[in-house]
Amino acid sequence: MSSRKPYVRKRYWNEPEMGWYERSYFFEIWRGIRITGGVFLANMWKWMTGRKGALTAYYPEEIRADYAAHNRGKHILTQRPDGRPQCVACNMCATVCPAQVIEIDAAFDPDDPEHPKYPSRFEIDYSRCVFCGLCVEACPEDAIRMVKETPDLPGFDRGRMWLKQDELLNWQPKQDVAKPYPAAGAGRTRGAP
Amino acid sequence: MPEIFLNGQAVQAREDQTVLQVALENGVFVPYFCWHPHLSTAGNCRMCLVEVEGRGLDIACNMPVSAGMKVFTDSDDVKAHRKAILQFITLNHPVDCGICDKAGECTLQDYHYAYNGEPSLSVDAKVRSTKYYNLSNRILLDNERCILCLRCTRFTHEISKSMALGIERRGDVSNIRPVEDRPLGEDPYSDNIVDLCPVGALQSRQFLYKSRVWYLKATPSVCPGCERGCTIQVWHRKPEWFVKSLDQRQNTSIARITPLENPAVNGPWICNKGRDLARIFERVRADQPMLKGRPVPVAEAIDAARRLIGAARHPVALVSNWGSNEELDSFKRHLGEVFVHAHVKTDWQPEEGERLEDDLLIRPDKNPNTAKARELFDMGEPNYHDGTDLVLVWGEGYDFSRIPPQAKIIFLNSYLAPENGHADVFLPLSIQTERAGHYTNFQGVVSKFEPCFPKGEAVLDAEALFKALEAPPRGHT
Repeated sequence: MSSRKPYVRKRYWNEPEMGWYERSYFFEIWRGIRITGGVFLANMWKWMTGRKGALTAYYPEEIRADYAAHNRGKHILTQRPDGRPQCVACNMCATVCPAQVIEIDAAFDPDDPEHPKYPSRFEIDYSRCVFCGLCVEACPEDAIRMVKETPDLPGFDRGRMWLKQDELLNWQPKQDVAKPYPAAGAGRTRGAP
Repeated sequence: MPEIFLNGQAVQAREDQTVLQVALENGVFVPYFCWHPHLSTAGNCRMCLVEVEGRGLDIACNMPVSAGMKVFTDSDDVKAHRKAILQFITLNHPVDCGICDKAGECTLQDYHYAYNGEPSLSVDAKVRSTKYYNLSNRILLDNERCILCLRCTRFTHEISKSMALGIERRGDVSNIRPVEDRPLGEDPYSDNIVDLCPVGALQSRQFLYKSRVWYLKATPSVCPGCERGCTIQVWHRKPEWFVKSLDQRQNTSIARITPLENPAVNGPWICNKGRDLARIFERVRADQPMLKGRPVPVAEAIDAARRLIGAARHPVALVSNWGSNEELDSFKRHLGEVFVHAHVKTDWQPEEGERLEDDLLIRPDKNPNTAKARELFDMGEPNYHDGTDLVLVWGEGYDFSRIPPQAKIIFLNSYLAPENGHADVFLPLSIQTERAGHYTNFQGVVSKFEPCFPKGEAVLDAEALFKALEAPPRGHT
């Protein structure tokens, strides 16, 4: 190998080394079209003849089976037995959220002394959510969770990307909270003789 | 001047001081709940325990200094006892910080993380008590959160003198309760006890669940409610926490108002009227310049006003006593030559049932800057006569029927009012929360306010407006 050319540093790390065959452009382009077109035609033939094996999944009718059980997908708000949100509007999730996409309006409910504070509006902006799961970790009430599925996330305008409280509560209702109510062991009342 | 030793450091003290005061003055922080610099010493929370060599542990807030005493504020013994006291104070505390409006600025929360950091050692169920007890139409009391420091009762006894709060029973069934024939609702200083409360037991109804405190920032300002000019903090949402989907008005509205401690004027207190400034500032605003009710661009309205001023032979001005020192100066400098007859107008009259005067803070004149306006302009109603051909009214609260009918009117106002459309030229002005400036109170103390919110596009600052109106081109109408 005495005819080895002297080492020339590449301008960038994967700069191609091309001979006349590659430089002539035509053969390489034809090779690319043949590969892409071959896969396309083979898939289309399978699809036309109704056979399985096409590579495309028909989202959202078809959902990939290989989502992990702990995949962080769409949020849900858990419900108390009476269907109201478990959330107490403490804003821990909204505060910890690195993308600041959670916005909560709190309200006072004088009729429920155990849960006087509840969210009147609870909204998440899915156009900016980074799916980090910190909101779930910050929640002291097990009120917000992320389930593995991510249905209906795409949308055509920014306004629609805000998920409202109603959908968060009801798109996949869950009541099996880790912090049930009423709290166990309510003590004696101060002021009673 | 006795010399005492704080953690081994020799410091100078005055004879009438307590160890706690000396420590705080010298930058040694000793935690305390019930002690307050403007209230009497109760000594019931036991949080300010310090160790004195040869005397053991005692509370610093009630310990007079004596020469040569050796005080340790951070010894192992003190630390252990502080921890035990916090365990004791939180024994029946519900720890519902998640839904407590005080969370984030709560003394108990801060001390817990600084000095205890452990969950409750108690295995017994917590004692339950009254939640949301109705103290007045402004304040709710949560007896579970209360640590019985008695700051609120001492405030009503020593500062506001309404004696409206007391304490009933003893031990863990002890409760703060209103005194029957002295309603807290009639105490014009009642909301100060919400600030005084070291925990979240006293909750302001106005602020109840409105916002978490860490979303808010405080801008120093001056209360325009009366000529006392108390310094206040206007709390509003931090720009980085502006809401994008919820009601956008949250971003530019006052969340709450608290006093800004100022020994020269108001000390650490303000009255309830000062807490309700949103009622004054958040009325519907005027944001469109008009010529006889017809909306026009700003430049056109200013031009029209300049022509009117230029053509006037006997102009009269009514100057607002809500204008800042800078604005009043600007009026005097730029328009003082034209408006020889400039009279101070009283923008805001006392409301029905409002307390006029007392010996703590409230003053009879319900306008912030009468003192400065009186310095520069004449007081009293101007003398209109047949020749009066232009009246410039700056600010609200003036009855237009007093103006002679032949006179043209230039009206500068911030709020929507029926008079706006009747003026020949109407120009909308910014309000106090949208500009910086100073007020001079009746004692001559000058206090500064800063802007919190952006002003509307067509809304003008009076200071700049008067400059723009100066030297009107005479001779063409």
